Amino acid sequence: MTNSIEEIQDAKVLFVIGSNTTEAHPVISYYMKRAAKRGAILIVNDPRKTDLTRWATLHVQHKVGTDIAYVNGLIHEIFKNGWAREGFLSNCTENPEAIRESVKDYPVEKASQICGVPVETMKRVARILGEAESASVCYTLGITEHICGTDNVKTLANLQMVLGNIGKYAAGLNPLRGQNNVQGACDMGALPNVFHNYQPVDNPAVSEKMAKAWGVPSLPQKPGYKMPTMLRKALDGGTKILYCVGDNTVQTEPHMAHTIKEVEALEFFVVCDIFPNLTTPYADVLFPDTAWGEEDGTFSNTERRVQRVRGALTPPGEARSHWWVMQELAKRLGKDLGFTSANAVWEDMRKSATSYAGVTWERIDKVGLQWPCPTLEHPGTPFLHREGKFTRGKGFFSVTKWIPQAEPPDKDYPIILSTGRRLWQYHSGTQTRNSAGFDNIFGEELLEISPEDAASLKIKTGDLVKATSRRGSITLRAWVTDRSAPGVAWCAFHFEEACGNVLTIDRFDSVTETAEYKACAIKIEKAGAGELKAKGAVPRRQARP
Amino acid sequence: MTDPMDIEKLFVIATQRENEAYAFYAAAARKVADPSVKEIFQQLAQDERGHFEKLERFRANPVEVMKIRPPAADWKIAEAEDLPTLSTNMKPKDAIALAMKKEQQAVNFYRSLAAASTAADIRSMFENLANMELTHKHRLEKIFVDIGYPEVF
Repeated sequence: MTNSIEEIQDAKVLFVIGSNTTEAHPVISYYMKRAAKRGAILIVNDPRKTDLTRWATLHVQHKVGTDIAYVNGLIHEIFKNGWAREGFLSNCTENPEAIRESVKDYPVEKASQICGVPVETMKRVARILGEAESASVCYTLGITEHICGTDNVKTLANLQMVLGNIGKYAAGLNPLRGQNNVQGACDMGALPNVFHNYQPVDNPAVSEKMAKAWGVPSLPQKPGYKMPTMLRKALDGGTKILYCVGDNTVQTEPHMAHTIKEVEALEFFVVCDIFPNLTTPYADVLFPDTAWGEEDGTFSNTERRVQRVRGALTPPGEARSHWWVMQELAKRLGKDLGFTSANAVWEDMRKSATSYAGVTWERIDKVGLQWPCPTLEHPGTPFLHREGKFTRGKGFFSVTKWIPQAEPPDKDYPIILSTGRRLWQYHSGTQTRNSAGFDNIFGEELLEISPEDAASLKIKTGDLVKATSRRGSITLRAWVTDRSAPGVAWCAFHFEEACGNVLTIDRFDSVTETAEYKACAIKIEKAGAGELKAKGAVPRRQARP
Repeated sequence: MTDPMDIEKLFVIATQRENEAYAFYAAAARKVADPSVKEIFQQLAQDERGHFEKLERFRANPVEVMKIRPPAADWKIAEAEDLPTLSTNMKPKDAIALAMKKEQQAVNFYRSLAAASTAADIRSMFENLANMELTHKHRLEKIFVDIGYPEVF
C-alpha cells in the first residue's frame, strides 16, 4: 500500500475495486465502514454484490474482467471535463500525453458497451472522482487474478496519477495484500528473482554483497521460476525437486487435475505443513510445521508494518519452527548458518537490508513499524511518494488496452465462474477445516447463481448442482442470490469436496504468472444426491515410497 | 567580541561552499542522461543558489545566523548510504543520495570548524551553520525515503 490502513477512515472518496473486503480483509473493512459513516463517498466496483455494497454510496457492477475498459473510460471522462490535475501531470509525471491520447479509445459510450456499466453511472463516478479533493483506491485479487492483472493495476495507477492522488494522506493506490504475511514473505525474498529487501539476484554487486554476508564463495545469479513455471517444468524434467512450505498446492493452484500431474512428475517433493491436506499425500517427505501461535518471529502486513508475533504454545510432537528446519537442512547440505533464534535470523536479514534496517525487535515490542525505516533513528513511513516523488523520478503512464478473458463463455459453457473467499473459512482450509467451529458456521461450499440463471435452469436454493468446466466437475448445492449478476456464478476454493480450482483455468498473467481465477467458462446442471462428496471423501493417494 | 574580520572570513568560507555546490550540481545536470535526474540536479543547483543568497543576507546581519534551529530529527540516512559516483547513467535515487551525502559532509565540515573554534560566538555561528546544513540533509533524506526503497520484483 502507498498509504496506511488507518488513513482509510479519513478518505473523502473510497474507490474499492475487485475487493470483497468484508470477507477477505475484515479488519480493513471496519475502516471503510467508518469512512462511510463519517460521510465519505464509498464506491464499490465489483461484478458481485459483496457485503460491502451495503455501506456503499454506489455499487458499480461491471462485467467480470472489464476493469481496464471501465477505468480507462473514467479517465477519458475525467480529461474530457477538465478534472485531471494538470499541475501534478506536468510536474510529477513523465508522459502525460501518452495517457491523454490512449484513453481517447475509451469514451464512456464505448467503455460502457464493454463493461456493462450504464453511461450515466460512469459519468457520475468520474464526476465524484474528478471533483473530490482526494480519493483512495483499494483493490485486491479481483484486479490481479486475471490474465491482464498487471495491466489492471497499471490502469488504476494511471487513474490515481491523473487525479493527483499519489503522495497524499488518505489517498493513494492500495493493494490489500493477502493473508497476514504476504507482504512479509515478499520483503524477505520469498520470490524467484530477488533476495530479501528486493535486491535483484542477477545484479553482480548485490550477489557479491550477499555472498560475503552469508560467508559463501558465490551465489546463483540466474532468477528462478515463478510458481506456475516451476510446476509446469516438472512435466519435462526442468523442475526435479520442490520444497513446499505452508502451501496446499494441489488445492490452491488452478486446474487441479493438471496440478496433480505436475506434482506427481516431481522426482522429490518435500511438504511442510501443520495438518494433512490434499497436497501432503504427494510428498516424499513431510515436515510437521509450527502454527502461528507456536513460534516467534515477525509478520509484515499490507501497510508495510513489521509486527512481532510470539509463540504462546509449545509445538506438538516433532513440529519445529521453520527457521530451525531450514537451518538443519542447510547443515546437512554442508552449511551451518549458526542461528540460535528467530531474532538472530531477523538481525541477519536486517543488517543486509536497507528499507527495514532500522526495525529491531526492541523497537517493535509494542507497536510495529512501517518500512521504509532505514535507520534506528527513523520513525517509519505511513505513506509514500509525498510531493509526487517517484522512484524513477517522475510517474510513468503505461498505456493499457482491454482484452477479453482467456476463456469466454460459449454455447457449451455459457456461464462465467468467478472464485474467491468466504469469511468463515481460510484459504484451502488447512487451518479452518480442522476447526469444527468454522465448519459448524459454514461447512459446505455453495454455488452462487443469479435468480435469472436459476430460473432458466429450473434450479432453486438448496438444489444439488454439477458445475463443469473443460477441466473438471464439482457437485455442490446452489444458492440462488442476486449477489451474482446474470451469466455469472461464484464459488470459493476452501472446500476439498467442492473446490473451485477443479474448474479454474490455468492461464496466467504474462508478468506475474498469476492465474485467471476470476474468470472461466462453466456449465451448470442439476445433480443427483449421490454425487455430493462428503468431507474427507476425496480420495487421498498414498505418499510415494 | 570576535573581530568582524573573522566573521567575514567565516562567511567567505560558507558562501564559497555553496558556490562550489552550485557549480557541481549545474555540471552534473549537464552530464547526466536521464531527464528526471537532470531535473533533480538542476533543482539542487537552484537550492544551492538559494542557500548562497540566504548566507548573503546573514552576512548583512550576522546575528540572524544564531537563530538557525536544527530539524526535528536527524534520521542519519545519509550516513547509512554509500557515496554514489557521479556518472551519466545515474538514477534519481543516486542523485538524491549524492546530494544528501554532500549535505552530510557540510554538516561535518561546520561541526569540525565549530569544535576547533576558541571564540564562543564563532563556534556558535559554525554550529548554527551546521544546523542549516542538517536541515538541508533532512529534506533530502525525506525525498530519499520516498524514492529509495522500491518494492520491485
